[in-house]
Amino acid sequence: MTGITQTANALPPEDYYLRAERVTKIYSDGTVALKSVDLEVRPREILGLLGENGAGKTTLTKILSGLLPPTKGRVISPRGPVKFASPREALQFGIGMVHQHFALVGTFNALENVALSHSRPFARLQLANTRKRVEELMQESGLDVPLDVPVEKLAVGEQQRVEILKVLSRDVDLLILDEPTSVLTPLEVDELFSLLRGLRDKGKAIILITHKLKEVGSVTDRIVILRRGESVGDVKTAQVTPGQLARLMVGETVEPVGRKAIELTEEELPRHEASRHMQHSEGAGILHVQALTVRADTREAAVKDLSFDVHGGEIFGIAGVEGNGQSELVEALTGLRKATQGVATINGTNVIGKDPREIYRLGVAHVPEDRWRLGLVLPFTLAENAILGVQRWEEFRGPLSFLRWRKINQHVRELMDRFGIQATGPSAPAKSLSGGNQQKLIVGRELAKDPAIVIASQPTRGLDIGAAQYIRNLLLEMRDNGRAILLVSADLDEVLALSDRIAIMYEGRFMAVAKPGDFDREKIGLLMGGVTAKEEA
Amino acid sequence: MSARDRAPDLRWRALKRRTLTGLNPAFESLLAGLAGLLIGAIVMAIWKYNPWKAYAAMFSGAFGDTFGIASSLARATPLILTALTFSICVRAGMFNIGAEGQVYVGALAAACVGYFSLPPGLHLIVGLAFAVVAGGLWSLGPAILKVTRGVNEVISTIMFNWISHFLGFYLVANIMVDRIHSERTVSVPPSARFPLLVRGTDLSYALFAAIAFAVVIYFILWHTVTGYEVRAAGLNPTAARYGGINSRRTMLLAFILGGMGAGLAGASMVMGQPPTFAITSGMGEVVNLGFDGMAVAMVGRNHPIGILFAALFFGGLTAGARAMQMRAGVPLDMVLLVEGIIVVALAIPELARVFRILEHRMVRFLRRRSA
Amino acid sequence: MSLSSIWGILLITLHAMVPITLTAVGEVFGETAGLFNIGLEGILLLSAFTGALAATAAGATVGLFVGMGTGALVGVLFSIINTYWKGNQMVTGIGINLFAMGFVGFGLTAMGPGFSAIPAARRLVAIPTSGGPFSPIIFVAIVFPFLAYFFLRRTRAGLILKAVGESPEAADVAGIRVNLVRLLATTFGGVLAGLAGAYMSVSWIGSVTKGMSAGRGFIALATVVFSGLNPLLALLGGLVFGFFDSLALWIQTLPGSKAVPWQFLAMSPYIVTLLVVAGVIGRVRFPKALGEPYKRE
Repeated sequence: MTGITQTANALPPEDYYLRAERVTKIYSDGTVALKSVDLEVRPREILGLLGENGAGKTTLTKILSGLLPPTKGRVISPRGPVKFASPREALQFGIGMVHQHFALVGTFNALENVALSHSRPFARLQLANTRKRVEELMQESGLDVPLDVPVEKLAVGEQQRVEILKVLSRDVDLLILDEPTSVLTPLEVDELFSLLRGLRDKGKAIILITHKLKEVGSVTDRIVILRRGESVGDVKTAQVTPGQLARLMVGETVEPVGRKAIELTEEELPRHEASRHMQHSEGAGILHVQALTVRADTREAAVKDLSFDVHGGEIFGIAGVEGNGQSELVEALTGLRKATQGVATINGTNVIGKDPREIYRLGVAHVPEDRWRLGLVLPFTLAENAILGVQRWEEFRGPLSFLRWRKINQHVRELMDRFGIQATGPSAPAKSLSGGNQQKLIVGRELAKDPAIVIASQPTRGLDIGAAQYIRNLLLEMRDNGRAILLVSADLDEVLALSDRIAIMYEGRFMAVAKPGDFDREKIGLLMGGVTAKEEA
Repeated sequence: MSARDRAPDLRWRALKRRTLTGLNPAFESLLAGLAGLLIGAIVMAIWKYNPWKAYAAMFSGAFGDTFGIASSLARATPLILTALTFSICVRAGMFNIGAEGQVYVGALAAACVGYFSLPPGLHLIVGLAFAVVAGGLWSLGPAILKVTRGVNEVISTIMFNWISHFLGFYLVANIMVDRIHSERTVSVPPSARFPLLVRGTDLSYALFAAIAFAVVIYFILWHTVTGYEVRAAGLNPTAARYGGINSRRTMLLAFILGGMGAGLAGASMVMGQPPTFAITSGMGEVVNLGFDGMAVAMVGRNHPIGILFAALFFGGLTAGARAMQMRAGVPLDMVLLVEGIIVVALAIPELARVFRILEHRMVRFLRRRSA
Repeated sequence: MSLSSIWGILLITLHAMVPITLTAVGEVFGETAGLFNIGLEGILLLSAFTGALAATAAGATVGLFVGMGTGALVGVLFSIINTYWKGNQMVTGIGINLFAMGFVGFGLTAMGPGFSAIPAARRLVAIPTSGGPFSPIIFVAIVFPFLAYFFLRRTRAGLILKAVGESPEAADVAGIRVNLVRLLATTFGGVLAGLAGAYMSVSWIGSVTKGMSAGRGFIALATVVFSGLNPLLALLGGLVFGFFDSLALWIQTLPGSKAVPWQFLAMSPYIVTLLVVAGVIGRVRFPKALGEPYKRE
């Protein structure tokens, strides 16, 4: 393990380190992650890879670093085409990746984690030597990290530095960082950036994946923008404004979604008898959130002092790149996570700290963002999934707690009819359904609770156009019937098309709350990237 | 567009219920069974026994005549119960190895009926109640440890097994011993015995108790709210939590139900086993019932109906083994060998995946030919 | 109490300690890497049998090696099924145990009566002492835990092993072949268990019976828990269990032994393990990825 070396001085700056040519990636389930993307990586340069969720940034870098093979296209170096079969080969070539979710062994200390990546098995573990070298490395690079504490006890910023140290100790030429600042404090961000600049000056190539406009402007030399799997821009940082970046990142509107709901009367919706007695107050405030603070698993605050209301008959959409606190907010409102401060009530009754089942009784329906993990029990049949959450309601439960399968199956058939769920019958296993049909099942199940408010989190993720349109129309319909809808989605078009009011969430706060028409796309892109009005100038 | 969206495929798929590996579960068990018998045959051949003769003898011994069938059913009876013990907990997402110990405890409790008298029928029921409660209580230990302290239930149940093993030895040799016949406990009096089903065999009405228990478990798991919640929490605890299900409660419940079944198995071996109707020192009647039950559960795909069939199969194996020993000279332990292979074969999902790939290739090949 | 009596107890303790310690230390390797082998009992029995077979035919050393080979074979099978083939570790282990019981019982009868005892000439040469023969394998069982400790804590290989068990994702990213490491670790564990089994028949007891392993495989598992994956503590655990083993035997020979029923002594190691696992005594921490097959996303 040597220290940080200078890469070949002879290379003129225009020469490249690695080039991706027409790289396409299609996953086994048909998702197109990358479409014929070209990318050039140069030494002595910090390259920013900018884009929203699903733009393909992580996929592209995974292909560059050997974790995934491209479906089409190739990656070449000045010495010829390169193909890595594993991260180890990429490391040996000189490419190191610092992941968003660190690949560290929690019970090891920093020293042991670094030593791990130099694995020649039967050598004696000369931790003393390793320590000396690591300390040298820390000096050279300006990193500082306690070496003897189990990594799981370190602060997140320190853990990240251990990751970086690990990668540096392998003498890499290309360093890729995936959304590194999402877990750092502003001070730590500054320290990280000066570290990166130092490395760049020593000749390394660096790729910084991010969705944050401010950061990409402050530390990169060049920026490549990805949108929906395609490269839409390759610009020098000094020559572009945040506004232009924002526009490139979010693009123009794609297909317009009709704002008119399907005509439907109340009676046609299959619903539980018990719930007919629930009252819906039109236009009244249903969800009230005040000064809500929620902690993420890493003990940082994910939701910071949030306040807002959602009324009956409106769709309140929360836009924003994932990872800015949306998941934690939804979990706090639906009973999976406790808020540390603040108030949230449904029709006046508090929901913080309550059981999911109690919250359902208050009239809340939830379409979760991860339907396989949270919404369905995949090996169960359609019928069994359809009663998840309402299995104890009187119409499904007979004497001695026996389940009334006849009633349940009838209810499921109604759901299948009404929502067009394609399956062989109520006893088809849920995992045999397509994604769209699974989502329809979940939505149908939730809507059948006749809720006062529907919390829909990434409701059309992974669905084909037809299914997505269907779900969106359903939401519109519910709104027209007087329900309150809280929509959380990383798909900006969707939020803009469906919502009556939108909020843009960034780092746990709302950057703005307004009507969709109030902003143009550039402005929204800026807000999503964390740039407020005054910083634009 | 994935294959799932094409309607005709859906119909075809529905015809074959598929497991994780893509094969019909009953088919998988069948394959595993055949693999076991095949390897058993190979081992026999190596040691110069005649596999055909052996299996023929086994089959006729197990199912060839009334005595054989009765013996097979008698052997199957406790296996049904201990298999259910294991399966209920599997459905709840856990590995309960504790049936062994719970059977011992149940048997000991049932044997206590020898110390007081009651009118016939009632005496039996009271004994069963003792056994069921004892089994349930003995399973409470590992259950509470798991639910409150997250103790791995595999290890805790193994420990409890051994504790009850030695406790049983002690009680049988010292406290519950019959003064006159010191090699066993006090016999269960006739008023508390299961009546024999077939004269001259050891098949008793305990069989019906076992089948009844299986039916009850089926209804509980698939037709009640509680059973639904147990299964949901076992398959996806996070989604279940969203559905308002408390997985701690379901785990506790599953453990207790399973323990009750094992206790019943223990009772059946004491109150339904001529000629002694007691527990002999060394507890030979009840040893290994738990482990055999696990094999039965796996072959039966952890479903009560499958378990009934699998128990019959394993019961036949054991009963037929005697005939196999007499007529073909093959030692009894061959049965355990075959069981072991079957269980290992079932542990390999990937192996079945190989079959599925072959199956797909064949279908594609045939389709291309016919196109 | 006479001197020879104390030495007698110590001797039995040491002998009884060997299979437990060897098996436990082997399993420490396996569990550190993340695989939980409940089939140790089966390996003990199988290798006792095959070791005896080989010893009768070709001498004690051959017997020991054949035993180790048997353990290796089963270890390889177990690891392949549970790493590359993503099988279920519990089920595989239980299957191995059942198979072993069947195979050995079958084999014993098939070999004919009178097989079970190994002729003295073919047994491992033991050192005669005043209390009885002293097997050289005892030295192995005492020294080896120290070597294992050094290996696990002070070499890179030990680090790799721990990483694979704690966080296979991190190990994979660091370029370590997770499944291969698990294979090697568990196979090594099998070799040690195989030695333990062969020791029992070839060196210690001198014969093979159907129920010979007598739950020692499970006791070894309990010892591993008790040791918190520290080979030195596994040695201690082996001594403790061995001691109770000998005590139980010894008490039965005393007149008026009904005073302390041997069954309760036999029970005590399991109770202690239970207390350890429940966190009443000491802290036990298993590798995070223990029991889970590793799938690269």
